[in-house]
Amino acid sequence: MKKVLSLVLALLFVASFVAACAPSEPKPAEQKPTEISVCLASEPDTIDPALNSAVDGATLIAHLFSGLSKWDLDNSGKLVIVPDAAKELTKGVVNDDGTITYTYTLRDGLKWSDGQDVKASDFVFAWNRAASAALGADYGYMFDVVKGYDEVSAIDDDGNPVNPDAKLAAEAVDDKTIKVTLTTDVAYWNELLAFPTYFPVREDVVANENWATDPSTYVSNGAYKLASWAHNSLITLEKNASFVDAAEVTMDKINFYLSDDANNMLANFKKGDWQLIDDVPTNEIASLKTEFPTEFKIAGQIGTYYVCWNINENILPAGSALTGNDAEAAREEIRNAISLLFDRNYIVNDIAQGGQVPASSFVAMGLTDADGTEFYKNAGPSSSFAGYYDVADSAYTDNFNKAIEILKKYYTYDGAKFTDFPTMTYLYNTSEGHKAIGEYLQSVLAGIGITMNLENQEWNTFLNTRKEGNYSIARNGWLADYNDPISFLDMWTTVSGNNDVQFGKGASAAVKFYSLDLTGYGIDVKVENGTWAETYDVLISNIKKCADVTTRYALMHIAEDMLMKTGCLCPLYFYTDLYMIDDSVHGFFSNPLGYKYFMYTTIEK
Amino acid sequence: MNSKTVLYILKRIGLAILTIWVVITVTFFVMHAVPGGPFMGEKAISPAALKALEVKYGMDKPVFEQYLTYLKDVVTRFDFGPSLKQRGRMVTEVIGDGMRISARLGLIAAGIALVSGVVLGAVAALKRNKFIDKAIMVLTTALVSMPSFIIGTLLLILFVITLKWLPGNGASAGGLVLPVITLSLYPAAYITRLTRSSMLDVLGQDYIRTAKAKGVSKWKIIFGHAMKNSLIPVITYFGPMIAYIVTGSIVVEQIFAVPGIGRTFVSCIINRDYPMIMGTTIILATLIVIMNLVSDILYKVVDPRINFD
Repeated sequence: MKKVLSLVLALLFVASFVAACAPSEPKPAEQKPTEISVCLASEPDTIDPALNSAVDGATLIAHLFSGLSKWDLDNSGKLVIVPDAAKELTKGVVNDDGTITYTYTLRDGLKWSDGQDVKASDFVFAWNRAASAALGADYGYMFDVVKGYDEVSAIDDDGNPVNPDAKLAAEAVDDKTIKVTLTTDVAYWNELLAFPTYFPVREDVVANENWATDPSTYVSNGAYKLASWAHNSLITLEKNASFVDAAEVTMDKINFYLSDDANNMLANFKKGDWQLIDDVPTNEIASLKTEFPTEFKIAGQIGTYYVCWNINENILPAGSALTGNDAEAAREEIRNAISLLFDRNYIVNDIAQGGQVPASSFVAMGLTDADGTEFYKNAGPSSSFAGYYDVADSAYTDNFNKAIEILKKYYTYDGAKFTDFPTMTYLYNTSEGHKAIGEYLQSVLAGIGITMNLENQEWNTFLNTRKEGNYSIARNGWLADYNDPISFLDMWTTVSGNNDVQFGKGASAAVKFYSLDLTGYGIDVKVENGTWAETYDVLISNIKKCADVTTRYALMHIAEDMLMKTGCLCPLYFYTDLYMIDDSVHGFFSNPLGYKYFMYTTIEK
Repeated sequence: MNSKTVLYILKRIGLAILTIWVVITVTFFVMHAVPGGPFMGEKAISPAALKALEVKYGMDKPVFEQYLTYLKDVVTRFDFGPSLKQRGRMVTEVIGDGMRISARLGLIAAGIALVSGVVLGAVAALKRNKFIDKAIMVLTTALVSMPSFIIGTLLLILFVITLKWLPGNGASAGGLVLPVITLSLYPAAYITRLTRSSMLDVLGQDYIRTAKAKGVSKWKIIFGHAMKNSLIPVITYFGPMIAYIVTGSIVVEQIFAVPGIGRTFVSCIINRDYPMIMGTTIILATLIVIMNLVSDILYKVVDPRINFD
């Protein structure tokens, strides 16, 4: 009796459990081949093209909207920028005042997802909106190449626009024609047109401030419509049948699952529920490479992982007699020597393990030079290796020994260790990967008697500490927004919000140590022993207004030379984008900025 | 209900409101004291854009003024403001979405934990020192000492990756099965142990012996006399447990990618999404305070001997 009772109770428990957990939705039908499920990241902050600044958001927007140009593959499988909403990507006309005007004609048959015609004025409206100070978009500065940006983006001390009626020099001549004037010609202009911030939005749609959070109010003009959005869970895009190029779009439905847990992504990928995941658990990289040789992908990404020094940190030994510019020169030499101590091949192959490329320059791999070659390969003093020092495996011992010899000039060396190098603290944001690299750097320095403590901070606190310059040496990383080296260089001007090194700030503001001579390029700038602001800032502003492509790139190399000479940036590796894609997916591609394109995919098992 | 009880309840409600006010105040000022801010990212935005955003969200004003405005909005209009990170969405909307899922998940898990815990606990007590009792005790000891991220990960590997029986994502149909199991195991084990020990205690009481001597049937003794009294400690535990479990288990939601409130709570702190931090904290605190209050009142219902003086 008792046994029967416990059995009945146990059964009751199981039954109640099963009943409680039974899914209320019907079981999903066998996945149709015209549907793909992917997971890039968690809930996007926004999918308003003007407000977005994230890579996952940009991928969604690239499917939902159609700009004047777009990324595509040419017949040879090479990534190219091609016209999208524009009939062609015309050449600009140089005006008398040096500005340059582009005129674009829209293709016929362009429709918004609610059936209305796409007009030239929609682009003009969208650009003014995105650039305006009132919107406060992260990427508003993407319009700084367009004439009138300074007026549109200016605000007074109370946060109100200085010129509420200011407009960019962009004009809808008629419903089909857009005329836009740039302050100077920029090499990456066509690429900017393919950037989400430049996509059109319609005035009556965005009048509702919350338009981009709900499918019922979301009106787009691209290959897909926003079909549903279960927040924090799933975004579904469905093919827009009235899209002008709908015939080329092969994938009918894309499910973007919203999760940022790499282990969970991997479980769903292994089960076969998701065909692409944009992140993998760091500690599984090695085994995934062998377990999924064709599905584990390493793609190039325009970005650099580096260590940055606080330029105001005094690293000379206590009691050093060096002062002024002598001390500054010594610090530069010391920082550069320390950069030589680290074995980047070890970091890439044994710690990061994601196919990263050892780096010896700050401007990342993947950015092109004036002649179309890789910018980083032309950087640095030598033509026998890329960058500012040789990071080949074979060169490591020489580099290390050279560094020791340099350091011996400034510090006491007892035959094995330096005894009077001041103790430093390496700051990084909490993450196993950053910690592992920090520990490696620490062990190398400890080997020669330099004590470097490790300190980790939570992400937002870390950003704040680094920005404020309250650190001695810190982990850092930078990903390009567009394929132009300037996106790695203008961040180091004195007033830049990304100037973590504190060039020209604090004590460094008064340091008159830098020289710049541009007279050889026909530019009337020659400074000897000037401040950072008098040299580097001037150089960047000259690059920005330089119309000659060859000169412009030469100036950008000079800017990187200046940066690297300070030794404040110690590049470790160039980033890669790791993802997994099921073998059954064909026709997929991604661009160097990390956007992933599913519209032309098919699934063939 | 006598006047003493009513007075007690009113006093407790007053105390609850005071508690929540303290939570709001402390959270508000601590949150603003932590370095960083909602508009800080890897790539710094222009000072003009930053200023415009601060003005738009009233963050250019002194912190104390912001605090007063916030209190006024919450109390008078139940307005928790917009999320600073998920642009275009209101805090109440985000919390509502997350709470619906977490509550569904949590209530099912709590129900299962209660039913299975009480049943197994009673069985163990009645079968004291027999094999089934020992088996239950070993199992529950193991479950109480195993953290949910281990259980969750094991279930994920077994049922999703190896057997491919269940989806590993909370957004899919049937995706809540594994999170429910993971979430319910610890409280089920805990309630089992609570029920067992308190049942044993009750079964040794004089009035049970008297009932036995009077020839009352065994089932009547168990369900009519013993069970009710042995549930008092379970009730104490169950109230706050529901509050915790319903407001979202961060770990379980992370492992199974469940779009509940737990994940939101963590991400809003990382993002310094001030209105979201305040909103989630207030909801969590309120629920815990209410559940504590309810379980205290239930005490009285279950055991009239308990005095509110």
